[in-house]
Amino acid sequence: MIRCLSPQLHAEHQKIRHTKALLVPLGFLGFYFLWTMWQISSMKPDEFPTGYAMLFYQLPVMNAILLPLMISVIASRICDMEVKGDTLKLLYTIQKPGSFFDCKYLNSFRYLVFFTIGQGLLILFFGSLKKFGGFRSEDYFLYLLTVLIVSAVILVIQQTLSLLSENQLFPLGVGIAGSFLGLFSMFFPVPVARFVLWGYYAAFSTVGMDWNKDTRIIHYYEIPFPTHKFILFLAFGVLIFLLCRTVFSKKEV
Amino acid sequence: MLIQCIRAEKQKLRHSLILPACLFIPVIPAVMGTFNYMQNLGILKSQWYSLWTQHTLFYASFFFAPLIGLYCSYIWRLEHRHNNWNRIMTAPVPVSDLFFGKLVWILLITLLTQLWTGILYLISGKLAGLPGIFPPEIIIWILRGTLGAIPICCLQLFLSMRIRSFSIPVGIGLIGSVLGVLFNNEGIGIFWPYSLMLLGMNSNGTNESILKDFLPFLLSVTVFSAFFCLAAIWNLKHRDVKA
Repeated sequence: MIRCLSPQLHAEHQKIRHTKALLVPLGFLGFYFLWTMWQISSMKPDEFPTGYAMLFYQLPVMNAILLPLMISVIASRICDMEVKGDTLKLLYTIQKPGSFFDCKYLNSFRYLVFFTIGQGLLILFFGSLKKFGGFRSEDYFLYLLTVLIVSAVILVIQQTLSLLSENQLFPLGVGIAGSFLGLFSMFFPVPVARFVLWGYYAAFSTVGMDWNKDTRIIHYYEIPFPTHKFILFLAFGVLIFLLCRTVFSKKEV
Repeated sequence: MLIQCIRAEKQKLRHSLILPACLFIPVIPAVMGTFNYMQNLGILKSQWYSLWTQHTLFYASFFFAPLIGLYCSYIWRLEHRHNNWNRIMTAPVPVSDLFFGKLVWILLITLLTQLWTGILYLISGKLAGLPGIFPPEIIIWILRGTLGAIPICCLQLFLSMRIRSFSIPVGIGLIGSVLGVLFNNEGIGIFWPYSLMLLGMNSNGTNESILKDFLPFLLSVTVFSAFFCLAAIWNLKHRDVKA
């Protein structure tokens, strides 16, 4: 299958040359760099021992605000050439719609992998720079895994919308609405929040926070990783992928 | 000529998705903000003022600029397609009128979005059982927020004009907004165009002194707006278009 997809993937790679799509995750990583620097500059030295916990607690909030829109921008950027050029009819004479969808997806997914690795390196960089304490490799890898998986599921929806809409206003509007919903879902009771896909960045967090109003001391504590919920989410992701792929494949061009 | 350009833009916007987006997206912070307010009545005790912060904090902090970015990308969308840049640049109208024709519509849509936010706030307040009508300051905050939105509109319109991609300016709008929150927290919000909307709306309920500081705010709005408009017009006059 990989051998069969290989020339198609190469074709996708050729299509996005000079589109500077890599600048999108790079720009967002640049922003995360500035934001983390700003966060650290306001930390007191006695907070450094819990520095990693602070990052693992706060980054999912930033992810819920920023990543849905970043993903919609990437998907729109990658898919707009077929939409603008109206080339799908021509393309389908040599490529199956399903395989086209897969190649597009794998192509966009690379940017998510790049972003996730970049974010992982940023965490390690700031952690070692300020000698943060409390590093747990389990938290670290689970954090990166959940960022990648949640983003991958959102990407399926955004890619489908971008490919189905002639006008990119709609998918990007969904991206903005997703950011809104993801952020607000953090303030909702858990039974309500679980229906908001964009809020899962925070739902899989392994760090919780207690703020004592009287002493004004922040205490971070561990939350067991919700393995069952994560497996269900993965199954939901696969289902969404198959559903979106089928909807796209059946689209009249 | 400007009137003709405004009319032409009106024609282009007919049957567009901008109006549904402008009506639908502000409903999300309204519903979510009210829900959150109702969930936290024990902490949020300032009634209409508390509801205002819940409604507008995230809207003004993070989502307003991408929304404007979306409108601006849409309004330049036709020019970026096919060879339309050649057509529009050879039209017998000054390039400044082309830009301002679009800006007028973006400002009108922004005003509409702001008014709609105000109406949703009133409806939500009544549904949440708040007494009477909202305090008159809210109207001032909405208008001041609209004023603070002008530089964002000018900047996003400029970005969408230069960048052919529909989505990139929207992403820039989001990053600009989040940076705006940082600038605002450092107390230097008037030096960053994306912070001005948040300052104007008083969404975090802390900058009451802005009436006192209204002159620097107004100066910042004027300088940024003029700069971005001039940059856009200079760009249209001096740089070759890519059709």
